[in-house]
Amino acid sequence: MAFHFEPSVVIETIPLLMRGLKLTIFITVGGLFFGFMMGAVAGLMKISRNFWARKTAGFYIECIRGTPMLVQAMFLYFGVPMAMGIRIHPLAAGIMVIAVNSGAYIAEIVRGAVQSINVGQAEAGRSIGLTRFQTMRYVIWPQAFKRMIPPLGNQFIISLKDTSLLMVIGVGELLRTGQEIVAVNFRAFEVYLAVALVYLAMTLSIAKGLRILEHRLHMRTQR
Amino acid sequence: MIRIENLHKRYGDLEVLKGIDLHVKPGEVVCIIGPSGSGKSTALRCINRLEEPTSGRIVVDGHDVMDPATNINAIRSETGMVFQQFNLFPHMSVLDNVTLGPIKVRGAARAEAEELGRALLKKVGLADKADKYPEQLSGGQKQRVAIARSLGLKPKVILFDEPTSALDPELVGEVLEVMRQLALEGMTMVVVTHEMGFAKEVADRVIFIDEGRIQEEAPPGEFFSNPKNPRLRDFIGKVVSHE
Repeated sequence: MAFHFEPSVVIETIPLLMRGLKLTIFITVGGLFFGFMMGAVAGLMKISRNFWARKTAGFYIECIRGTPMLVQAMFLYFGVPMAMGIRIHPLAAGIMVIAVNSGAYIAEIVRGAVQSINVGQAEAGRSIGLTRFQTMRYVIWPQAFKRMIPPLGNQFIISLKDTSLLMVIGVGELLRTGQEIVAVNFRAFEVYLAVALVYLAMTLSIAKGLRILEHRLHMRTQR
Repeated sequence: MIRIENLHKRYGDLEVLKGIDLHVKPGEVVCIIGPSGSGKSTALRCINRLEEPTSGRIVVDGHDVMDPATNINAIRSETGMVFQQFNLFPHMSVLDNVTLGPIKVRGAARAEAEELGRALLKKVGLADKADKYPEQLSGGQKQRVAIARSLGLKPKVILFDEPTSALDPELVGEVLEVMRQLALEGMTMVVVTHEMGFAKEVADRVIFIDEGRIQEEAPPGEFFSNPKNPRLRDFIGKVVSHE
């Protein structure tokens, strides 16, 4: 049986994927929201003066970066409930996995950005009597945050794509929605092409949005 | 105002300060000179504990800087500091640079802090730059903003760490002029500098630090015209022949 590419199937599939896309966006945004908070805390702990804070953050970062996200997802969704006798909603598990996973990478982004700020800035802040916290809050963080934007955008795109792995724990995200459509019409080529195009449209828009944001922030200090 | 007794500072095996004793009276201007690597900046930075002294005693305005019970932030807010590299906050306007301390440390209202900030910018001759950002200023202007920023806290003493060393020669004068004005108004100042002319004219006392020790200490007239220490004679000879 010769394969015959049917472009109209691609077009028709895209609207059907919107339900999955909504979930993908929801998980990405939710996961990165908590992931950024975890990353900010872990990143600052990594450069804290406290030995145990540094070690704890280091342990978290190494464990997460050193294991595949697919394993983390299955461990959290199938493993943890078995051990603790609880049930986790797939969506909640999905957001948690994205948060915990991106948090480890964001921690390194935060640490690098904060450490890249000239030590003279901290000295100037402390010399006018600001506390360590105030110096971080008003002097270091705003400058560091600007430097975090490009790598954070990168992480945003990675996490968006990583949500596709969550299909294994039964989250009806974009890829899984595509899979369900294939199960009905057997047009794997067209449907997965449509899925890929939707991911691509998303990642390209994020990249574009970030370039605009970066440009704006740059302009603000130029003026 | 400042009393330093037997101050030592070592980095690993390297002893940078080998016992510094220094008293600065209220209203006094003390200039510290010396070759690079002599420990003069380190000594200055120990005064507000940007550098952690290894041993010794430092008392600023009656507060023991090294006592763990002392609130170091409170001492720092009374002790202005001006850096060689300015260290202005690049993400804030010039005015915000000056008002950050009054608002966050002193708890001043924004309007009140801005009024103070504008007055201080006017004092250093930069009233028209309030809404600019640091990178739009020349080096000399940046350093004058940095002085205004330190004045925002109404400090009892200002520490200057080679304030003109990073400036193009033609911009040095405007910064020294502001410092001269401060000295005239009675501000207590400790100035690490290579500007011999400034030291000669403005200082009440000049100190020569070399190899981690104070080698000579005298009023500027005597210090420059009749240096006793051979190293100082050598140093002055080298510096003056350049000028």
